[in-house]
Amino acid sequence: MISKEDLKHRIWSTDETLEREQFMALQLERLKKTAERVYEKVPAYRKKFDDAGVLPGDIKNLSDLKYLPFTTKADFRDNYPFGLFSSERKDIVRFHASSGTTGKPTVVGYTRNDMEVWKELIARIVTQAGVTNEDTAQISFGYGLFTGAFGLHQGLERVGAAVIPMSSGNTAKQIMIMQDFGTTALISTPSYALHMAEVALEMGIDPAKDLQLKWGLFGGEGSTESMRNELNRVWGIFSTENYGMSELIGPGVSGECLALKGMHISEDHFIPEIIDPETGEVLGPGQVGELVITTITKEALPIIRYRTKDITSLNYEKCDCGRTTVRMAKIQGRSDDMLILGGVNVFPSQIEDVLLSTEGVGPHYQIKVYKKAHLDKIEVDVELTDASYLESYAKLESLNQHVRNRLRTVLGIDAKVNLVQPASLPRFEGKARRVIDLRKED
Amino acid sequence: MAIKQLSVLLPNQYGMLANLTEIFFKEDIDIRAMSVYDTTEYGILRAVVDDPDKAVEVLKKNGIVAMLSDIMAVNPEDRKGSLNEIFHILSNNNVNVDYIYSFVVKKGGPQYFVLKVADIPKVETLLESHGIEVIKKL
Repeated sequence: MISKEDLKHRIWSTDETLEREQFMALQLERLKKTAERVYEKVPAYRKKFDDAGVLPGDIKNLSDLKYLPFTTKADFRDNYPFGLFSSERKDIVRFHASSGTTGKPTVVGYTRNDMEVWKELIARIVTQAGVTNEDTAQISFGYGLFTGAFGLHQGLERVGAAVIPMSSGNTAKQIMIMQDFGTTALISTPSYALHMAEVALEMGIDPAKDLQLKWGLFGGEGSTESMRNELNRVWGIFSTENYGMSELIGPGVSGECLALKGMHISEDHFIPEIIDPETGEVLGPGQVGELVITTITKEALPIIRYRTKDITSLNYEKCDCGRTTVRMAKIQGRSDDMLILGGVNVFPSQIEDVLLSTEGVGPHYQIKVYKKAHLDKIEVDVELTDASYLESYAKLESLNQHVRNRLRTVLGIDAKVNLVQPASLPRFEGKARRVIDLRKED
Repeated sequence: MAIKQLSVLLPNQYGMLANLTEIFFKEDIDIRAMSVYDTTEYGILRAVVDDPDKAVEVLKKNGIVAMLSDIMAVNPEDRKGSLNEIFHILSNNNVNVDYIYSFVVKKGGPQYFVLKVADIPKVETLLESHGIEVIKKL
């Protein structure tokens, strides 16, 4: 385990350790400026403020934030491509865009100052995740419009790490480079990291023994504690999770420190809130709901109260690492990923948790949801990884039943389990799409 | 030296069998005996092939897990009542049979069948002591 003394050496900026009052004063001042900026420069925001009957000048306290209108993904779509920007083209130095699973992508832009802020934020999260200028960091996120690769790249360079801009894909080559360059830190999605470990093993390389990896910085999609344990075991690393969203800046919104007790949000740049996703009402510390974030230092694309759809809670207590910034809990699911099956809320991450801790089956899965005689049914395809269950049908059947029972205990519903061949389910190098919902009609 | 049997997970989907036989064909593996039971979602395909170790390797290369296990093969005499005799010998000696299936028979060729029991050497000796031909090598 990492000592408290060591944790304290891993703080990039003194701005991460301000007193609560200092944060609040800074936030109020910056919130006012941001509200004025968008009201003045972005017609879409002016209309939103006017519709809500609130003016930037009405903000007297931080608690007045709750009177400001929300921003949603739909606002990006409605104002595609640059309608929400508050800087002129001459001041923009970079564009990025989200992967855009449906329709038009979400376009984001950065001024020179935004780029500086972004680098600073990434420098903080990689430092708290263990990386220093001694490290060689392999970035296995796809380079391109996606914010993940470039975001981490610039911040890692700021810290002084030696960056390998590997991009995603070509997994065998990833392993070769890791081995030959002596990679010590891996930056990727957790599911791609699991896949890379499988490929390494097939190549006769034991990632935990034959490579020099120490740190795993995972993001771009949610993961579970058991996935973390699995990643630590197969790679022989200390892994942390970080969180971001291109609408807000990209990676760098928050990340875990080595104490692993939540992800620190840089409160001098963002104001987080937790709301009830149904009513929009603001919830208190520790309460679970949807994360809403307001950016307070961005120039090109400041965002007021962005509804992230991610379900989490906030903890304002001081962390063992010495940081005073608020921590958000691991994402429990997405308010729009959440499946409602016969009135029961199910998050795909719960299913993943069960599979990762079950012997004989792999961590990859696919969920099918459909209706039968007006009732919601769920099927989970799971890969059989241990051939010894093929000795008899009874053995195979009891494994199936075991998985089914465990899912019932955790989810509270009965899921049909289909054992399939290993490596037969799709692998995802970017965001995983593992749910097929066939309940469209009715 | 017991005969090796291959067990493969076979989800109940179109093309699963064809996929498997295609792999064997391409890799020049000869199927001697094969069985799949009628199940709803997935079954286990069991097969005796000429080169079981190679079969496991090529299946693995194609992302299919397979396990090898020992089975025994018997060559009953070609007359009425010969199977009846064999199963009576087994039942009189409290031998439990997990499953049986037969070899692909060539016209005029031997009519082996596969027998899955717990203690193979013991059952082999038992049947041989009753004059029944047990196949040790294909």
